[in-house]
Amino acid sequence: MKETVLEVQNVSKRFDMTQALDDVSLKMVPGEIHALVGENGAGKSTLIKILTGIQQADQGELWLFGNPVKINNSQEAQAYGIAAIYQEPMVFPDLDVAENIFISHQDQGFLVRWNKMYTEAEKILNDLGVRIDVRAPASGLTLAAQQAVEIAKAISLNVRVLIMDEPTASLSNHEVNQLFRVARQLKQDNVALLFISHRLDEVFEIADRITVLRDGRHISTNAVSAVTKDSLVREMVGREINEFFDKKTRHELGDLLMSVRGLTKENVFSDINFDVHHGEVLGFAGLVGSRRTDVGLALFGIEPAESGSITFEGERYEIDSPEKALTIGIAYMPEDRRQFGLTMPMSIASNISLPMLKKYLSWLGLVNLSKETDIAEEFRQKLSIRTPSVDHEINKLSGGNQQKVMVSKWLNTEPKLFVLDEPTRGIDVGAKAEVHHIVNELAAQGMAVIFISSDLPEVLAMSDRILVMREGKQMGIFEQGETTQENIMTAAMGENQSVQEFSS
Amino acid sequence: MNFILRRFRPEQIRELVLILLILLVIFFFGFQIPNYLSARMFNRISASAAIIAVLAMAQTLVVLTRNIDLSVGSIVGCTAYFVGKQLADNNEMDPFIALLMSIGLGAILGGFNGFFVAFGRVPAIIVTLGTLALYRTILVEYSDAQTITTMMLPQWLLDLPRTNIVSYGKMHLRLMVGGMLVVLVIFQLILKYLPYGRRLYAIGSNPEAARIAGIPSQRIVFLAFVLCGALAGLAGFMYLARFGNITVVAGLGFELKSVAAVMVGGINIFGGSGTVFGALLGAILIDLLDNSLIRWVAISEFWRDAMLGMLILLAVAADALVMNRLRNLWTRSDPQMKSKEEKSHVG
Repeated sequence: MKETVLEVQNVSKRFDMTQALDDVSLKMVPGEIHALVGENGAGKSTLIKILTGIQQADQGELWLFGNPVKINNSQEAQAYGIAAIYQEPMVFPDLDVAENIFISHQDQGFLVRWNKMYTEAEKILNDLGVRIDVRAPASGLTLAAQQAVEIAKAISLNVRVLIMDEPTASLSNHEVNQLFRVARQLKQDNVALLFISHRLDEVFEIADRITVLRDGRHISTNAVSAVTKDSLVREMVGREINEFFDKKTRHELGDLLMSVRGLTKENVFSDINFDVHHGEVLGFAGLVGSRRTDVGLALFGIEPAESGSITFEGERYEIDSPEKALTIGIAYMPEDRRQFGLTMPMSIASNISLPMLKKYLSWLGLVNLSKETDIAEEFRQKLSIRTPSVDHEINKLSGGNQQKVMVSKWLNTEPKLFVLDEPTRGIDVGAKAEVHHIVNELAAQGMAVIFISSDLPEVLAMSDRILVMREGKQMGIFEQGETTQENIMTAAMGENQSVQEFSS
Repeated sequence: MNFILRRFRPEQIRELVLILLILLVIFFFGFQIPNYLSARMFNRISASAAIIAVLAMAQTLVVLTRNIDLSVGSIVGCTAYFVGKQLADNNEMDPFIALLMSIGLGAILGGFNGFFVAFGRVPAIIVTLGTLALYRTILVEYSDAQTITTMMLPQWLLDLPRTNIVSYGKMHLRLMVGGMLVVLVIFQLILKYLPYGRRLYAIGSNPEAARIAGIPSQRIVFLAFVLCGALAGLAGFMYLARFGNITVVAGLGFELKSVAAVMVGGINIFGGSGTVFGALLGAILIDLLDNSLIRWVAISEFWRDAMLGMLILLAVAADALVMNRLRNLWTRSDPQMKSKEEKSHVG
């Protein structure tokens, strides 16, 4: 057994409502590629942030070469030889390649010696087996080349532990192979690598050991030969379905409302096909980067699709703007409340009336405020928004109540199809249950709902049928009865039948 | 075409275009204004552009870090008046002490800006908009609305703007223009060869990456404001020497000129790219137009501010349209990542 480089001992981290990491331990050995897998929210990102000093653990210790260390910021992480590369490379677009590699060196001396820097950068890149013009600005490089630059930067800093956080998510097959060659090179040079990926194929191709995290807890660490894809998927999802979910009342689906055929947007998603009926909740499941949100944005006309057809109530539509979507009866509630959803310092009532302001105009062209208040009041009672009054400023409400205002705002447009993108993210358990209840009510009244969520048990509990996406591709639609955690997760990981069609 | 692509970067092309534009403007006014192409005009415009150029270089330092300093005009006014007052009270003061006093006072005022931006995390536009008014008010209070006149100043200071380094016929390279060129060379070297200079670019280029790369951003941004203030102080000293009569409105509106020069000179307002040489070219173009338009009968003096505004808009529009195309051209011709085995058939 080789000496351990980095040891994570019983680390815990809590953010307001959620326990992101709970007593996690992990050992990293030189010359070994250690894969870290888990669902969305399993705690992988938090662990990386703690290792790189961007965040600090609440409890637990980090040991480096047998000594306990405290990593307070990224400078210190660098000094310890810990570096990370991310899905979106962190390069300086205006600086050239060589500068990007050497920018963090504290011991450059008094002057920047450009020629020396160029030769050394060339040497490092050569050893990695990649050819990039070291004098070119980083802004023109492909993602893969930018990642190579980041790896070169780590090497120039004498990296001992290299963390790769979903480095392959936006790379083509060919580029992935290039990246793996570099990773194996580093492994030979006795670097300890931590590899995070949602692609199990890649994990099996490159990793020596695999650690599974789930809900912030360490589930298992095994040699790659000791596990199978099935056993991994089981460990990643294996938990009881939360008691809080309303048991969905199964009922017959209503008439067909919308059919989507071959919906495609180049480099984003392709060939999305589904039907949605009155009174149906269609779940959209998938891992980070599966492009579910982009389909939602296309249906609402914010980022319109490029080809494919959308038939709504028997008529074909080109949805090229949100106005168009609203007139035919589609509403979309975005994922990020703060950025896209609510106009923050304004009152509850004015937020609710915003998309349908025309409805409140008096004959002078002015907004009829009392009518606005009446409608807001109605929603306050219907969705039990807890606020002293509807004139209250929205930023003073809790996350759950803000979410209900969002729902009201879009319900006020009287949609026939309601697309909800991550409606329960970042709100507490009680508010979650209320949102679920509202969605069930709406469906029972005959509205069609598309429910996008990263929370797998939630999608399972809420949906009549579930469409699973992965990297912009539709991996299948699961009917009632087929919707088990294992089925969905297998598809989201790209391990079900249909993946063969795509990769061949 | 390929030769050009290999030889120059888009930013350099932009500077060449700017030089051409300056020549074009000189050519145009040479036809329009009698006696325009004379040694006297050269002396006059070079001396007036020198002050704006120093301010534009000062502005460049903070703009590179994705910030802005709107208070430079007020700093010019404050230093010009304060140092002028000291010299008026004490005619025996050593010239170097006066110069250092200007630079030091500018640095302190700049440091005040930098403290709030870097450590207080208040947006630069708000901090410096505040100090733009604040410094001016302090000046008004301090001066008690008195004017400093050439009569009160020592003779060496009044001689300074007419001191030449070299002369060619009636064309003179003024000492102040030479001083500006020294500042240019120093800061061009700092930005290119000192780790500090490179980090200015890094922070403006991608602040998040700078944080992760362990670059001490706060200190670097703070120092950028201090240097900007120091250069504005130097400009204040030059202003004092050139005009001699200093009122409370000294340097009013210079912030607009410095920002315009920086943007015309190709420094990205979102940080990360541009050079002090570009800033110099921008300052020359703006001051050239400024000085020429008042001599051109067809245009009223009130239009000069409008012209500055139009130039800013034009520079931004040109940047968006032309530079993006140019950069794409370069990106396509740049060799991308290739692995050793396949270099023969890619790119």
